[in-house]
Amino acid sequence: MKISQLRSMLDKREISAWELTQSYIEKIRNKNHILNCYITVCEEKALEDSRKAQMLIDSNSALPLTGIPLSVKDNICTLGIKTTCASKMLADFVPPYNATVVERLENTGAVILGKTNMDEFAMGSTNETSYFGSVKNPYNTDYTSGGSSGGAAAGVSADLCAGAIGSDTGGSVRQPSAFCGVTGLKPTYGTLSRWGLIAFASSLDQIGTIAKSAEDCGLILSAIAGYDENDATTAQLTDTAYTSKIGMSVKGLKIGIPTEFFKTGISDEVCTAVMSAAKYYEDMGAELVTVSMPSLEFAVSAYYLISSAEASSNLARYDGIRFGYRSEKGGTYDELVKNTRSEAFGDEVKRRILLGNYALSSGYYEDYYKKALKIRSRIKSEYSAIFEKCDVILTPTAPTVAYRLGEAQSSLSELYSADICTVSASIAGLPAISTTCGYDKNGLPVGMSLTGKAFDEATIIAVCDAFERDFKRQEAVL
Amino acid sequence: MKYIPVIGLEIHAEMLTESKVFCSCTAVFGGEENTRVCPRCAGLPGTLPLVNKNAVTLAAKAGFALGCNVNNYSAFDRKNYFYPDLPKAYQITQAQYPICTDGLINANGKDIRINRIHIEEDAGKLVHIGEENISLADYNRCGVPLIEIVTEPDMRSAEDARAFVEEIALRLKYAGVCDCRMEQGSLRVDVNISLMPEDSDVFGTRAEIKNLNSYRSIIRAIEYEIKRQAELLDGGERVIQETRRFDDSTGTTKSLRSKEEAHDYRYFPEADIPPVVLTDEEIAQIRSTMPEMPYERMNRYTQEYGLVTDDARLIISDKALSDFYDRTVMIYPSYREIANMTLSEVIRNLKELSAQSEDIPFSPERLAMAVKMGEDGKVSRNAVKDIIKFMFEENLPPEEIAKKHGLIMSNNKDELEEIIKKVLSDNPNAIADYKNGNGKIFGFLMGQVVRTADKSANPKLVRELLTEILEN
Repeated sequence: MKISQLRSMLDKREISAWELTQSYIEKIRNKNHILNCYITVCEEKALEDSRKAQMLIDSNSALPLTGIPLSVKDNICTLGIKTTCASKMLADFVPPYNATVVERLENTGAVILGKTNMDEFAMGSTNETSYFGSVKNPYNTDYTSGGSSGGAAAGVSADLCAGAIGSDTGGSVRQPSAFCGVTGLKPTYGTLSRWGLIAFASSLDQIGTIAKSAEDCGLILSAIAGYDENDATTAQLTDTAYTSKIGMSVKGLKIGIPTEFFKTGISDEVCTAVMSAAKYYEDMGAELVTVSMPSLEFAVSAYYLISSAEASSNLARYDGIRFGYRSEKGGTYDELVKNTRSEAFGDEVKRRILLGNYALSSGYYEDYYKKALKIRSRIKSEYSAIFEKCDVILTPTAPTVAYRLGEAQSSLSELYSADICTVSASIAGLPAISTTCGYDKNGLPVGMSLTGKAFDEATIIAVCDAFERDFKRQEAVL
Repeated sequence: MKYIPVIGLEIHAEMLTESKVFCSCTAVFGGEENTRVCPRCAGLPGTLPLVNKNAVTLAAKAGFALGCNVNNYSAFDRKNYFYPDLPKAYQITQAQYPICTDGLINANGKDIRINRIHIEEDAGKLVHIGEENISLADYNRCGVPLIEIVTEPDMRSAEDARAFVEEIALRLKYAGVCDCRMEQGSLRVDVNISLMPEDSDVFGTRAEIKNLNSYRSIIRAIEYEIKRQAELLDGGERVIQETRRFDDSTGTTKSLRSKEEAHDYRYFPEADIPPVVLTDEEIAQIRSTMPEMPYERMNRYTQEYGLVTDDARLIISDKALSDFYDRTVMIYPSYREIANMTLSEVIRNLKELSAQSEDIPFSPERLAMAVKMGEDGKVSRNAVKDIIKFMFEENLPPEEIAKKHGLIMSNNKDELEEIIKKVLSDNPNAIADYKNGNGKIFGFLMGQVVRTADKSANPKLVRELLTEILEN
């Protein structure tokens, strides 16, 4: 059920917040062992929070998320609750502080059910790099959930939470949302505080929301967005009413279709589904504008260089000295650090750290990192040019539907290349939302993305909502 | 062969902010181990740095103090390396866009260019427990704001380097940027040094000597290094580019790591901190709050106060003393006499007590009053010196000290006349000698009178009375 429906039930006292939370806990008990969405379930705390939420509801001071059971990705710090990043390195890490988004969720009376599974340190797009095992796709458990916010997306899809907080560095909210048939929003860089988000790539990381509709994504975003004195990169936002444009007509709206996003590597089924969504908008009176992003072919390389470079630095603090895993072997500091990191980081994390260090090393910096920055500024200016001709951009979210478990890891370069549809918005810091626009022959969801102008989440949410209203969603099997 | 040493310095100075540069922990020196640490400066996962605006202001002030341009745009970068005293495994610094650039300072009669001043965070400290083969980390110092001052290789001797460090330390103290306590590590110096043949203008290969923390070790390290490199070159060997450590106990430098072993710091922009943008107005505002610099004070002392250059320099070289002097002359503007008393009596007493000028136990008002009493003829000049000495021992105003110790000069004519008559009767030949033109006898008699009257006799009055009695 959507958050707006749950809100109405709670406000009409058709169900209590406690009962609602209890019903989600039941579902988690029944399905989590199959899907593996949650690393930690906070039953007691969630039920206790639901009682507090009920008091707010009873005193008629409920806010949009009061009593709504949500999940939080396990790279977002929760005071007193394990925050593992799905890594052996932080398997027992209990933060002494809440992330700002968690703090704001709690202040609004939302109920946090637990911490969701993810690719280790958010590095991956299949959720198979998690130290706690892969997440299964609720549409077909032989398939991946996508990643890195796989637990969050699958959790929403299987209704193990009403909505989810994920994080998106190069597509980690949007791609699993597409694979699991739900809606995922990555806001403009600077919209949500990163305080308490365990860093992967600081210039790209952005917390995002996953839910059953664009409206729900906007509702959650509105509750947590805005300047935070603990994060110097957050923006001063004047308007956080992200659902305010919902219901607007798309008549006369200019939708950009960048040709490069529909070229090599994009499966026919995805192309067809996204183009039929475009046709839908056209039928509703929108104007389709063909646009171009010539630098897209370099976007994946630039993304992997920048994100890995930043990751190599962000993950250097895990040395076994102050927190996290510590190797039992190692007489000297150097040995201790080496053994700790060798034993506690998974292969994908190690690969990115190596790549990042290489890209930053003297002698290679100019050829790799610096060139990547140049691509980054080119992509930004190409977006600016495109947005002079249109209001939103429509693209696929991923070249294919979800991968079969175990298959994707066999060709990493193909797996990395599959990020082509999502990384450019991350590189440019722009807002993008993914929703389901069709299903393949096996019934797996196909995702499309709408990318907007900076800080214009309200428009893409409204445009996305317009499509969702008329789209016939197929529920997941689980 | 004769060589010319070519020396450049990198100086780290801890800034006098109340809190650390990227969190709100106190930045004050000391404290029990790991009590001045928070999740931010300990680099816990999910934390982010926040720039202390005061650190930016102080760094800009350092720029003005050292004749630099303060830039509208500066930005932070990460310097990556593993070390247990560095919790994030990177130091936040300004590599590409420093806050200040292109300074110039005259020291030891030479113009020395400053390449840049940038802001960065200090690391923690390791405590090695030798016998147990254990190292412990203390993160209290982590995140204390530093500026790094980088000079051009414009110095040519150990004395140049010493004079330069002294000059900038003085200016940073005056600007309120750093207390420059080398013994506490709030000012630390790295020396880059190479030799070039006297007839050449091509620099040789340099060695870097890290972390010198006294003027003495700066001089000794440079002198040793000049000798070491000259011997290598004379012997037909090459100097290798490397980092060296100075050993205070032996007075020698030892190799720490060669160029090949040098860290690759993999600098790149710090995305967690937006660039520091200062408008022209903001820069002007900071400039308007600059306190008087030592060279400005020098002009005031010599030109307005009429002090001789050496005296002025001596006072100014000790900021606390100079501030004390300023407050004293503000109350009683006898510039030269107060300078004399400060340089002689105040300094002498401080030395005897092994105390610093910060520790002068009396107020400027009291010093002003003591000097004024001398100049008003209430006490003799010698008595003023005694009063100052007593003021170091007793917490009393100068008048009371003078009274207590019988230093108030007698202006009692009758009393003095009695004494003079007695002295003359004790020296019956004196009057005749005086009348026969023996000039020396007057001074002798003056001395006898003053001595008999103890120190309380007003010499001017004694002279008048004695002349009068002898003449008649």
